[in-house]
Amino acid sequence: MSSEPALMSLTAVAKAIAAKQVSSQEVTRSCLHRIAQWQPRLNAFMSVEAEAALKAAGEADAELAKGKSRGPLHGVPLAHKDMYYEAGHVVTCGSKIRRDFVPATTSTALQRLKDAGSIRLGSLQMVEFAYGPTGHNFHHGAVHNPWKFGHITGGSSSGSGSAVAARLTFAALGSDTGGSIRMPAHFCGVTGLKVTWGRISRAGAMPLSQSLDTVGPLARTAEDCALLLGLMAGPDPEDPTASDVPAGDYVAATAASIKGLRIGVPSSFYVDDLDADVAKILDNTVAVLKREGADIVKVDLPDQRQLSAACQIVLATEAASFHKRWLIERPQDYGPQVLMRLQNGLAIPGVLYLETMRWRAQALAAHIDATGAVDAVLAPVAPVAAPTIAESDVGNGPDAEAVIQRLTRFTRPINYLGLPSLAVPAGFTPKGLPVGMQLIGRSFDEVTLLTIAAAFQRATDFHDKVPQLS
Amino acid sequence: MTRPSPRDIKAIADAGGVPVDAEVAARIGNSIGPAFEGFEPVSGTLPFDLEPATFLLVQTAKASS
Repeated sequence: MSSEPALMSLTAVAKAIAAKQVSSQEVTRSCLHRIAQWQPRLNAFMSVEAEAALKAAGEADAELAKGKSRGPLHGVPLAHKDMYYEAGHVVTCGSKIRRDFVPATTSTALQRLKDAGSIRLGSLQMVEFAYGPTGHNFHHGAVHNPWKFGHITGGSSSGSGSAVAARLTFAALGSDTGGSIRMPAHFCGVTGLKVTWGRISRAGAMPLSQSLDTVGPLARTAEDCALLLGLMAGPDPEDPTASDVPAGDYVAATAASIKGLRIGVPSSFYVDDLDADVAKILDNTVAVLKREGADIVKVDLPDQRQLSAACQIVLATEAASFHKRWLIERPQDYGPQVLMRLQNGLAIPGVLYLETMRWRAQALAAHIDATGAVDAVLAPVAPVAAPTIAESDVGNGPDAEAVIQRLTRFTRPINYLGLPSLAVPAGFTPKGLPVGMQLIGRSFDEVTLLTIAAAFQRATDFHDKVPQLS
Repeated sequence: MTRPSPRDIKAIADAGGVPVDAEVAARIGNSIGPAFEGFEPVSGTLPFDLEPATFLLVQTAKASS
């Protein structure tokens, strides 16, 4: 066991607490110690609730001493993106508008993690209303990348990516509507799971685009993501879109071999215009997977630009609809870029929006036909490693949307198709910035993605690297 | 469906109850216009008997097969 408990994986620390090798209080103190060191540089937390966390940890230890365990996360301190409603706690959604919002209910995903025994460390920073891929926040400041201060974390789950990478929390909930889990996972060097649309209940999670929104974890390993997914997946009477397709044994899947699995590498789009470092890491990833026994084959995917355009139309329209009241009453309370992007939705005719929603079935069927011979598709998450905060601070300027669209062009098509995708740390650039790759799966087949990612992580150590405070 | 002009956008936004000025309409057109163009090959080509919920059928049929 590590002398610094915060450096352990979620799976390892949960087992260590259960076995009484370390107490919840020791673990929580270790996290709080690191938060005190890193938070002034990272701005990853929206709120740190040290006293309450230590009290809850003490209670968890007392329960365990009496032989009572609440579940697989008993006594594990966690912090999540500040958009998951928790009754009685302020949930800002990264905004000024909801600066003092206190919900009366708790989100289903969060409740399921609490029921499993986790305790609350605080809440994590995010892009205003989860509408942006870089990690900038006009009201609360940008979150910094722990691998290189002054570089972006990616967004919108900016605090989740930064805090997990810096080992301030063992895992964190994020949300992914156009790439908001996978982008921070890629830029910060952590593992991030965007689930199949409908796999995890969205009840009590701040909405951005109901047809695209997904709830999911960022953690250090595929095994950690599997543990969290198993606790959260399944139907929910509070969310009629939460699917009753049976959940898999996700943790068991991480021990399986990938021998004979077929992994497709796209012949175009996802391999076009890549930064040289990213292209090299993609090649290395392919080589590792091949060495571990996977069959690598080329796949020709349907036109991804059309999927991307459809995703943009759905997202813009639904986001503008959610925000319409505030767009009328409080436009001055949005940051300039988020206001600009919300206003985009005002220009979309209803018929066009519905066409994009109607086409979704055909588009998914075409993707399934194109990928029928493979178990998963491997692709980059983004064409570049993390740019600086300054160079990507495009605000609401004339090039803002183009910059955003370039960063997210490999993630948006997957949201439109509702497919699962798992981002895994795959290497570092010569400048020391992490690069991730995404494994894209079949609907509701997170099991296969977790199997491949876990095998990759057994063969590599990118996910074990820890950023140092300089 | 082709990219809307700032004048079109202003009219749609006004009708929707969230008026925008000419500068904002131009900026919206610049931002969202490429999405209109990207979807143009699909727009107007979909079969009559296709509705949004068909997506769920495709998604779950493949999941259970």
